[in-house]
Amino acid sequence: MSEPILEVRNLTVHFYTYAGIVKAIEDVSFDVYKGETFALVGETGCGKSVTSRALTQLIESPGRIVRGSVIYHSDKGSVDLLKLNEEEIREIRGSEIAYIFQDPHSSLDPLYTVGYQIAEGMEVHGRVKSIKEGIQKAVDILRSVLIPDPESRVKNYPHELSGGMKQRVVIGTGIANSPKILIADEPTTALDVTVQAQILELIDDLRKKYNATVILITHNLGVVAETADRVAVMYAGKIAEIGSVEQIFKNPLHPYTKGLLKAVPNPMTKVERLDAIPGTVPNLITPPGGCRFHPRCPFAMEICKKKVPELKEIEDGHFVACHLY
Amino acid sequence: MANLKKFLVRRLLTFIPTLIGVTLIVFVIAYVIPANPAKAWAGGEKASEEAVKQIIAEYHLDQPWYDQYWFLISGLATNSIIDPRTSNPVMGDISERFPVTFQLAIIAFVFILLLGLPLGLVSALKRNTWVDTIVRIFALIGVSTPIFWLGYLLLYIFFVKYRITDLAGVPPSPPTQIFHVPIIDSLLTGHFTIFKQHFARFWLPGFTLGFAGMGVLARFVRNSFLEAISGDYIEFLKAKGVPKLKVYRHALKNALVPIVTVLGLQFGSLLGGTPITETVFSLPGMGSYAIDAIRNLDFPAIIAITFIYAIIFVTTNLIVDILYAVIDPRVRY
Repeated sequence: MSEPILEVRNLTVHFYTYAGIVKAIEDVSFDVYKGETFALVGETGCGKSVTSRALTQLIESPGRIVRGSVIYHSDKGSVDLLKLNEEEIREIRGSEIAYIFQDPHSSLDPLYTVGYQIAEGMEVHGRVKSIKEGIQKAVDILRSVLIPDPESRVKNYPHELSGGMKQRVVIGTGIANSPKILIADEPTTALDVTVQAQILELIDDLRKKYNATVILITHNLGVVAETADRVAVMYAGKIAEIGSVEQIFKNPLHPYTKGLLKAVPNPMTKVERLDAIPGTVPNLITPPGGCRFHPRCPFAMEICKKKVPELKEIEDGHFVACHLY
Repeated sequence: MANLKKFLVRRLLTFIPTLIGVTLIVFVIAYVIPANPAKAWAGGEKASEEAVKQIIAEYHLDQPWYDQYWFLISGLATNSIIDPRTSNPVMGDISERFPVTFQLAIIAFVFILLLGLPLGLVSALKRNTWVDTIVRIFALIGVSTPIFWLGYLLLYIFFVKYRITDLAGVPPSPPTQIFHVPIIDSLLTGHFTIFKQHFARFWLPGFTLGFAGMGVLARFVRNSFLEAISGDYIEFLKAKGVPKLKVYRHALKNALVPIVTVLGLQFGSLLGGTPITETVFSLPGMGSYAIDAIRNLDFPAIIAITFIYAIIFVTTNLIVDILYAVIDPRVRY
């Protein structure tokens, strides 16, 4: 197996709200390998986005990264991203680790041209000397994200573009500095189904072209099956299971993963009917003790209520956090 | 830009019904007041019959209301109406007093901008800290302090106690006039002593007049900046690695549309506040002229002042509308 580019250990983020401390993610640990597409899957509110943003300290007040480490192995050596100061992490954001956000309609500043916004991302990292030079380069970037007529498109404002076009611009901004890691946070959720496949294909092509690593955050298992190499399934702020796409889809171990796969039409096997997981997502201010899934788990035992299950390696590269194993 | 031209023409045309409406309403109010202006103008109780009659004939006071209205409006437009109180052409009186009021409003506006904007920004950036609390209390005090009270208080401090300002007359205008507003003209033509004199005379009334506006603006800047900074694109800017100050610049520009709206309204309400300020600080401007006119049933002057204020209001609104489009590319005419 190839070497890891990111090693996330015990990442914990809490939000200090008036209602109480929201334990958004607790002791999340996983590795991301160079050149792969790593998918983070889970329901809304399970902490996927928080995890992806915490990687570069993009957590705003009232949220706070309580503990953990994110070791990033770059060409220049290894650093713990969570120990960097504001200026050091800023230099990494957008140049080494870039983001693509969920909603292209609100990711772009409505008052600036798309060319300016792409150029700005390069200018702040010293890749171009001026915004003007950046806008010239932005033409090539727009061409590489398959926007037709890029020469005139750079002068457009976001509201003059369609959703798919805007997401291409956002992707273009992301890859402008040829980052090592591209974090795509539900890049297709806000888009038309017809455009979704194009965008995913584009991200994958760019990954190959720039030899980058992609962290794909999604709740869409179909997208995972199609694009990811490895998958981490999250539930209520914790990792339930990690494995390769094949392992997760063909041999799911965690009851939650099994439930998820039963709840969506699986293209790999024939399913008679779709089952829902009983119960609802727990409140993260007072999460259930022990395994957070035990109130909804059909296999729950006494121990599940008391002890937090650790991630165990069941087969090569296939980890699960469940007392059944 | 062709669109801009069309837009301007359309907007300028809407000025006409607005101005007619405003002056008509004020005229009707004045018309239905059970008073005898002719007698008042002729000198009150002791006025002679002939004098009153002559005034009635001269000002069409025995004619129906529409004739009176037309007489007033057309007379003001050609500046042929003589003010019964001062015996000068009405528009002549006003053009003498207008620069004082306009200058007062501009200085108050500058105070609002220079203090309200930074206070609001500081308040937003230091949200929910003691700094924010102090600014919010200041804003509350600002909007709830009556101008006449604040004016006398400041006069007591800066004139009676410490003599930092003076209250006599108005300094001379610079020899060359461009905008006919002395403080701007003296600055543009390089007459700095005159500029200093004007500033020394006007800063205190300007501050008093702008005090309420500072608080309002600070609150608005705070809220719209906070709203802008919570936008997704701000987070995306951070994710791009854009430094803090540049992120703030994006947020500020996005917060500008509501801020410009408030500033436009503020400029209008500043003019509304000038009568009290000018009376307290004994400035010979339009505001105190308006009060005198009302006290003396001087209807031609009242209509003329209303007309000028209405023009300033609609012009300010027009400028605000144009600024919207300058700030926000989504706004189309």
